[in-house]
Parts: sequence; C-alpha cells; structure tokens
Amino acid sequence: MDAPAAKGDVGEALSVEFRSATKRYPGSTQPAIDELSVDVPAGEICVFVGPSGSGKTTAMRMVNRMVEITGGDILVGERSVRDRGPAELRRETGYVIQQIGLFPHRTIADNIAIVPKLLGWERERIDARVAELLRVIGLDEEIARRFPAQLSGGQQQRAGVARALAANPGVMLMDEPFGAVDPINRERLQNEFLRLQAELRKTILFVTHDIDEAIKMGDRIAILREGGRLAQYASPAELLMAPADGFVEDFVGADRALKRLSLMRVADISLWEAPLAFAGQATAEVRAKLDGAEVPHALLVDGERRPLGWLSEGDLEQPTVPQRPHTSPDPVLELDDVMRDALSDLLQAETRYAPVVDARRTIAGVLSVEIISEFLTSDEALVEEHPAAERPLAETEEAG
Amino acid sequence: MSAPLASLLPLAQGDDFIQERTGTGCVQENGFFCAEWAFDNFDRYVTPLVEHLVLVSASVVAGLAIALGLAVMSHRRRWLVPPLTGLTGVLYTIPSLAFFIVLLPITGFGRTTAIIALTAYTLQIIYRNIVAGLDNVPAASKDAGRGMGMTDRQLLWRVELPLALPEIIAGLRIATVSTVAIATLAVFAGAGGLGDPLYADLTFRTNVLLAGGLAILMAIAFDALLVVAGRVASPWRKVRPV
Repeated sequence: MDAPAAKGDVGEALSVEFRSATKRYPGSTQPAIDELSVDVPAGEICVFVGPSGSGKTTAMRMVNRMVEITGGDILVGERSVRDRGPAELRRETGYVIQQIGLFPHRTIADNIAIVPKLLGWERERIDARVAELLRVIGLDEEIARRFPAQLSGGQQQRAGVARALAANPGVMLMDEPFGAVDPINRERLQNEFLRLQAELRKTILFVTHDIDEAIKMGDRIAILREGGRLAQYASPAELLMAPADGFVEDFVGADRALKRLSLMRVADISLWEAPLAFAGQATAEVRAKLDGAEVPHALLVDGERRPLGWLSEGDLEQPTVPQRPHTSPDPVLELDDVMRDALSDLLQAETRYAPVVDARRTIAGVLSVEIISEFLTSDEALVEEHPAAERPLAETEEAG
Repeated sequence: MSAPLASLLPLAQGDDFIQERTGTGCVQENGFFCAEWAFDNFDRYVTPLVEHLVLVSASVVAGLAIALGLAVMSHRRRWLVPPLTGLTGVLYTIPSLAFFIVLLPITGFGRTTAIIALTAYTLQIIYRNIVAGLDNVPAASKDAGRGMGMTDRQLLWRVELPLALPEIIAGLRIATVSTVAIATLAVFAGAGGLGDPLYADLTFRTNVLLAGGLAILMAIAFDALLVVAGRVASPWRKVRPV
C-alpha cells in the first residue's frame, strides 16, 4: 500500500520506547503503571496482556497522551511524547478501541476520512485514500455510503481499522480490537489483520486479556501484573518456553506446551523418512528398507510419489507390492499445517504416524506423536521463532 | 380578574367586535361557529396571526441560542449544571402576567417585553434537553474522537452536538408548542398576537374558536416542521440495522 507522500502524511513505522514510564493518579498510593520499560522496534506487534487491574490499557493510552505520564518518558520515533501537542500526536497515531467508536451519524466513508480531514487533506486526496482503504480491508465501495448501524460487527471492526490507518500513521494503538466479535469472526479478523500487517509493517501496540490472542498476534508480548508492573517482556516462544516466574507461568496457563505447538508449522520440525513402496516393486526391497527404519510400516505411493496408503505385513509377504494398499493414508498432513492441528488430526484418527505432503501433494516425510513429544521436551522451540507477520496463513484463504 | 390584568385589558384594541354583533342570525344568536362571519372577518385575524408567529419564532430561536450557550458552558464544567437547571426552573415558574408587569418599567410596553418573558420560559426545557442529549452521547464515540486528535471544540461541534440532536429537537418541540399557547397572553404586554382578538370578546364563540383554532394549527404546524427538520438533520437514525 503506497500512499502518496505529501504534507500531513506520516508513513514510516516508528519505534516506541517506554522508559520507566509511570502513571500515578492523584490520591492513590499505588501507581497505575510502575516504571514500565519496554522497547518496541519499528514494524513489530507488541501485545500488552495481563489480568484486569494490570494497567495494560492505561499503558497503551499513555503513548498518545490519552493518559498523561507522571514519571519517566515514552519516545515515539525517538521523540518524547511530552514534547508533542496531544492533538497532533494523536492524529499521527492510529487508534482502535474495543467498542470501535465509529461515529453513528457519519457514513463509513466519512468515518474513515476523519483524521485526513483534521489534517486538512484535500477532498480528492481523501476520496482516493478512502477508496484505497476500503479495498485494502476488503469492504465494498457500496458500504462506504452506509451508516455504522447498517454494518455487521465484523464489517464495523474492519471499518474501525481502516479509519485508524487513514492518515498512514507510524504507530497503531489497538485496545482489544477484536474483543466484541464472536469467536469465529474474531479468528478471521485476526488472520486478516496479520496478513494486512505483513504488508503494512506498522508498529502496533495491541492490548488484550486473552493470552491465546497475545501469542497469536504478538511478535513480542509484555505481560503486566497488578499495579502496572512488567512481569515479562519476550517473544511468544520464549514466554512459553521460559516463563520468568510463577505469575507468568500461571497466566500463560498449564497448556503452554500445547500453545507452543500453535506457533509452529509442520515444516518447522524434522520429519521421519517414509519407507516408500511402489506398486509392482519387489517386496524384498521394501522389507530391506523397513529394517531399522523409524517408521515400521511401508507407505505405498504412486508414480508422482503421492501417498496412496499403508501396506500391511500380509501385503509384504506377496512377491511384489500390490496395487491397492491395506489401509488409507489418512490423515495426510501438509507442511503448512499448524502443528497443534496436526497433532489433533493424529490423535483424532487414533494413529501414530501420518504422511506429510508438500504443496504438490508429494510425500515430504512422516510425522509421528513421538516426534512431537520429543520436540516439546527439547530446546528447539526457542530457536524456532516466527514473527507473527511472517507466518504464512494458508488456512485462512476462505476469509473475507 | 386580578387588578393588574384589568388595568391591562383596555389596552387590547378589541371593542369593535362586540359592536359588530348587532346583525341577524348566527352572529346575533352567538351560534357555535358562524362560518359566514368568520369568512367575512378573517382579515381581522391575519395581523394577529403574523404577530403571534413572530413572537413564537423569536422567543424559541433566542431561547435555543441562550440555552445552547448555557449547555456548552456547563458541558465541561459539570458543577454549573445544578445551579443553571435551578435558575431556568425558577424562571419557568414565574406567572406570565407577573413577569410582564415586572418587565414593564424596564423594557416598556410592547413586543420586547413579551419576547423576553417567552424566551425565559423556553430556557428550562431546551437547556435540560441539550444537557441530557450531550450526556447520552456514547462514551466510545467521544473516546474515539479524542483519540483521533479532535480538540474539545471539534468534538463538541462534529460529534457531541450532532449526536445530541434528537434530544435537542425533542426539547424544541415541547418549548415551541407551549410558547404558542403562552404567547396568547402577550397581548397584555402590548405585543399583540392571537390573544388580541381572543381576549377582545371571550363571549363570542366564533371569535374564540377562530383565534384559538389558529393557535392550535400553528402549534401543529411548528411541531410538524421540527419533526421533519429533525429527520432531515439526522438521517442515520432512520437506517434499518442489518
């Protein structure tokens, strides 16, 4: 998305640096945010997550001075927010809230045009920008003339994101942006947003109370605890592998091992080699292959090396490999599958081994329950780290 | 009739009505409604009707301007709301004739006195409705507006007042209809209006029906006009949610 560079255009993603940022409300002994130091590199999604009362929303709102810091500093693009006029700072910072806050008396197009208008853009430029954003977020041009009440929750949320992106801000603040949407639409919006972010590369501060959402969306996660204290600031994988203390461990949940699986694809793990058999091949050759192999069963494949099914002991007692396999190859996994889903498929099919294929359906290896359990007890997860925006999202093609 | 009212009455120029009831038929018998007389004498009511229209319009417009000013002033200074509600409430309770008499030495006999009093009566309703309308603006809209970098003034004019419009219109409707009724007393301040023919001969049924009927029609017309204006100004309220 290349917005024409012009006056009032912000463009480039900016870093955000909290330097012992503190918020103390008058008359309260405990600070709401206690010396928070977090460094968010330009172009990354940093998720603030924590229980209620941990100040995650307050921390986010200090960045555009919706909440004034009382100690320390926050630098946006290496400039202190204290030195910026609040209105000017906010116009250069995208802002999405849970209730969306679309103006009910303005059409969708007018809602999206609000910040460009405040910045004094010309009419034609605003119109062009609105049309471009509607395309980017996948809303019909016809929707632009409607009022917010005429849109579904998901459409409203998309319009809210478009409005925040309108003046091409360097930083986006998103407070539980998908909180008011039902679970199915939430997942779709999350995936769409990650795909959008892969293109836009904005610096995003994202607030949620949902650790699963944090793990899914975040390049980095800041876990806050009561009293606005930072419990841990790390990548999702690091957080799951090495929680800093008991609080983080509890917050991340007892199923953190499984959560790690949702961060990876089947392609990220070393698979076992499948002992392949072709129809008409001498079974002696196949039996030799099986000797000492990790997978104790032979996989019948066609001429293109696409899996047809598993062969039984009985099949291998014939002189040549039969045309038809003893059992179906299902479940057949893909390299692109999320590891957690792959494990689920294995368990559901009550099988220990599943063939894994690449995009052309050619056999790439075999995944087994043992590989996964070995992986979970190793340190490999720390190395296998995937920034959210780089992850391919093939399973969400139907979204939109 | 009270003493001040009696002293004001002769100033209403109406004696000729009585003199003209010397004809025959309906008028002499003081029938329920003498259509022929009404038709022949309708021109007598045109000037009072226009005067009434001016009194009501001027009072409601002035009332809206003042109430809007008060509401905007107290919007960011919440402590002002109770005293202002009290003050406009006190104005509302002053009997209209007493109000005219109090104003007479200051503003004299005539339209100004009537408009000041009528304006004062509209303040309570309009002010309270604007305050209620501003209070009902969704917090999310205000937060989003501020978060996008609107100044207080931009937020007020572009978000809060447009969203308060339905309540403001509702207040204007009540204020206008009640002002049409109270303005029939403006004749005692020497400001004419439909009260002029009405009080000139309260015993002549056709006169009472004609003057009173015109006031009622005016109230209905104003109300309809405000309803239409409200619809035109807030198209988002008509939309059917999907």
